[in-house]
Amino acid sequence: MSLSALSLLLLSPALPLAQDATPPTARIVIQPPSLELQVGETATLEASVIGADGQTLDEEVFFFSRARRSVTIDREGKVEAVAPGQFTIVVRTRRRGATAEGQESRVSLGERLTAEVSVTVLPPPLVELTVIAPEGRLFAGTEVDLQVRGTDDRGAERAVPGLSIASSDPSVAEFNSFGQLELRGPGSFTATAEAEGVKTSLDMRVHANPVASLDLLVDSEEARTGDVLHFSPHARDLNGSPVTEVPVTLSFTARFDDDLGPAASGQIEPDGRFVAETPGIYTIVATCGSNTARKSVRIVPRNVGGKLKLVGRGKVYDTHTSDLWIWEGLDGRDYAVTGTWGANGDAIFWDVTDPANIERIATVNVDARTVNDVKVTPDGRLCVLSREGASNRKNGVILVDVSNPREPEVLTSYDEALTGGVHNVFADGNTIYALSAGRRYDVIDAADPRSPRTIGSFELDTPSHSIHDVWVEDGLAYSSNWSNGVHIVDVGAGLKGGSPSNPQPVASYAYPSGWNHAAFPYRSKETGRFYVVAGDEAFPFGLHTEGLPTYPRGWFHFIDFTDLEAPQEVARYQVPEAGTHNLWIEGDVLYGAYYNGGLRVVDISGELMGDLYRQGREIAFFLSADPEGHISNAPMVWGPQPHKGNIFFTDWNSGLWCVRLEQDENN
Amino acid sequence: MSLALLLSAGLGLGPTPVEQDYFVYVTAESADEVYVVHFDGQQAGIQSMVEVGYMPTEIEGPHGLTVEPGGEHWYLSMAHGMPFGTLYKYRTSDNRLVGKVGLGLFPATMQISVDTGLLYCVNFDLHGDMSPSSVSIVDPEAMVEVARTTTGPMPHGSRLSADGRRHYSCAMMSDELIEMDAGTFEVLRRLHLDDGTGGIARPRDGGHHDAVTKPTWVQPHPDGKRAFVCLNGSAQVVEVNLKDWEVSRRLPTAKAPYNLEVSPDGKQLVVTYKGAASVGVWDLDKSEELARIPTTRRITHGVVIAPDGKFAFVSSEGIGGEPGSLDVINLTTLKRVASVDLGLQAGGIAFWKMEKRAQ
Repeated sequence: MSLSALSLLLLSPALPLAQDATPPTARIVIQPPSLELQVGETATLEASVIGADGQTLDEEVFFFSRARRSVTIDREGKVEAVAPGQFTIVVRTRRRGATAEGQESRVSLGERLTAEVSVTVLPPPLVELTVIAPEGRLFAGTEVDLQVRGTDDRGAERAVPGLSIASSDPSVAEFNSFGQLELRGPGSFTATAEAEGVKTSLDMRVHANPVASLDLLVDSEEARTGDVLHFSPHARDLNGSPVTEVPVTLSFTARFDDDLGPAASGQIEPDGRFVAETPGIYTIVATCGSNTARKSVRIVPRNVGGKLKLVGRGKVYDTHTSDLWIWEGLDGRDYAVTGTWGANGDAIFWDVTDPANIERIATVNVDARTVNDVKVTPDGRLCVLSREGASNRKNGVILVDVSNPREPEVLTSYDEALTGGVHNVFADGNTIYALSAGRRYDVIDAADPRSPRTIGSFELDTPSHSIHDVWVEDGLAYSSNWSNGVHIVDVGAGLKGGSPSNPQPVASYAYPSGWNHAAFPYRSKETGRFYVVAGDEAFPFGLHTEGLPTYPRGWFHFIDFTDLEAPQEVARYQVPEAGTHNLWIEGDVLYGAYYNGGLRVVDISGELMGDLYRQGREIAFFLSADPEGHISNAPMVWGPQPHKGNIFFTDWNSGLWCVRLEQDENN
Repeated sequence: MSLALLLSAGLGLGPTPVEQDYFVYVTAESADEVYVVHFDGQQAGIQSMVEVGYMPTEIEGPHGLTVEPGGEHWYLSMAHGMPFGTLYKYRTSDNRLVGKVGLGLFPATMQISVDTGLLYCVNFDLHGDMSPSSVSIVDPEAMVEVARTTTGPMPHGSRLSADGRRHYSCAMMSDELIEMDAGTFEVLRRLHLDDGTGGIARPRDGGHHDAVTKPTWVQPHPDGKRAFVCLNGSAQVVEVNLKDWEVSRRLPTAKAPYNLEVSPDGKQLVVTYKGAASVGVWDLDKSEELARIPTTRRITHGVVIAPDGKFAFVSSEGIGGEPGSLDVINLTTLKRVASVDLGLQAGGIAFWKMEKRAQ
């Protein structure tokens, strides 16, 4: 050994310390070496440690499962199958050899023996297949979806991979490659489904199609892009009597007013609703058996475009800016408060009475790294600041007297059950709704702001639920819950007997992406429909806090809650290559903070369907690029709020902005 | 350098010129960042920074860190998610994320057992209703949680005995030290930790914190016979005799002792004083605080000692917009010898490696 090698050995504790550990020449032998079990079945593993000389060693082993919710194992090696699948049980000796390491010293992990046992838990056997007959009679020249349900030996429904299904008479009915049943002519046939050795059949009859003529009506022959038209097919038999039992298929062709060849032009639903994205002549075609009917309509440009003109700025360059609130103060002047993000816990107060000359008038500093949300009570007296990253990890909310916004006075810090961080708040009168650690919202009575008290709470009961925001209007609380979607809760509306101290769930809707981040209610006076607009937040490409712009994704989902028992997602507003954040709706206009897509103003009047962006419903947009911003020339609009004819918004990189919408004279 | 000097240095018999580079990982809990800090014996600097988490506009709170005994991977507990926290696994060679597994509410301190090869992470549940929480046991190869053992309210200070066979954690809100078998995952013993004046933990009522001593950290001594526990609420460190399972010594400290570490030779104890912006170095044989050294920032948090026992690395959170910091304490001179500013709320800390510096 060289001197340098010797010195390295002597000086470097980074070298393995367990020089006397026994080389792992022994092995673990397990009986049985693998397992195949039914759900609910048990078996016991016997494990022995065999030395290099073939002798059994007296060494302790322990077991663990790498899928403990699907297959369990106890200390004695008893295995129980819980759910179907392929799993691994690990059998391991304790460490072999002497140990004397400090807690962070580096040692080899190779001194213990490990063996794995493969456990196959079979799905419960399929015992029954059921072909579910479609509702109503079947008619030639139409198409239906046929459902097949599998049942296991415990009576539970289970998936049926490898299902095959066939018709006994393809001249009467035939399954296409997508499993749809095409009804070709009158007669009888048998549908036979088979899987895993289980077979079932259902005899069905296809009737002659009685439809002899078909008409197609529409509620208007001309509409704007984005307007929803309603087509209604009318089928009649040879006697001229209406036929309502036979399904009619709708489709369309289009001839655009321009020659630019857009990729998509409209959308039609089976119930006859149609919306066009591009001006032109559209011909809707109704088909039933050998009968067809056509109806053409003219779609004209929506012409709602305007322009957003910059009015004023309240620049914040040293930190990132979060949310805002604008209000009329007790003195009749207009004020704003903005939060800060990933910084030193500042909330900044502004006089925005003259929005062309926004004046920074005060700063309240709280023990936090992020003041994510700011709200002011409707009476203009009390400001609520959310706290995250407090040095004592107690977070909670700060209540500030803003009777004189030039001299805001911190009244109290309230953290009862809110220590995990408050990401968003809402002030409904003197009742404060505050999120707690992303799990629930608590309801706080702040009538005496120096002595607030928690009077209620609302938390979902789903596994791993998580909440992001809450908004309250007319006695209903609208919360945004990521993958759990939008939840409407009665906190005084009288729908379910709820109150702030006794919140009662009303309705909910979740969508697959799990990106639900914000929610804002919208009641259309024109149509009588009740929507909740749900905003996404998604950063598939990460967030740059310094130096580079960020490219979020997501859109606004329009969920029709008119029937609270059966909410339906009917439309979206999606700006390509950008991502949504907060939103506000006033009248029939949506003001959307679209992060890198800037501020968006959208016409949401009338019935809504399809992609509003592609329908020309966008009135205007404003990109808040600022070369001096915290990140230069990187619009990142956080939240909007219209106020007295102006639109205020915050940009994460540059602070408070005020713009005004100027309508195009031609629109 | 002579062979004799080399030998004396290797055996720790006398002062020698520092020839080592030291590397530690430190979290910035309010910035969702992890730093790799390099200390060359005189100066500390940031070698690299790793952005962590998956909800970019929210503070997810990287809290606990550990480097596996083999040194090839480091592990990070993230306090907040939707709503549960996550354990992440990164390669030390390039700080690349290679695995993750969801754990409980506010997963915090953790360590890997040299005995079982499993990782033990407490679910601190700092913001819950103070019902008993748990220790998650994770197979770090497959990154799956293989067991979850209920311990007590607000468990913290997840540490293993030197032989890796016993796991220790504190239940901060029931004033308990809890011992678990690392192989069976079963709680073996509980020790109520009072402040020596007869004070006891009261039942919780109405969501108020009623614990008295609020133990926050435990570290078994290398001799395997005792463990040291920070009583954060009582300004004490207590020595627990692990055979008799009783408090055998009390060391009065500055306000709010939070983390501690015993030197590899078992002679020194380094304690962070969260409420006193300082760190205490104790001579365990003499029960004497040798020095109380101010930290660069307030809210002094974590400490690790280099395997050669020469330096302690101490993280401090700071308040509000103050940067967090890492201070290096020379355990011979008992002086702060280097500092480096890090991201907001620097907290969790783990020693990575020592390397002999190229001459």
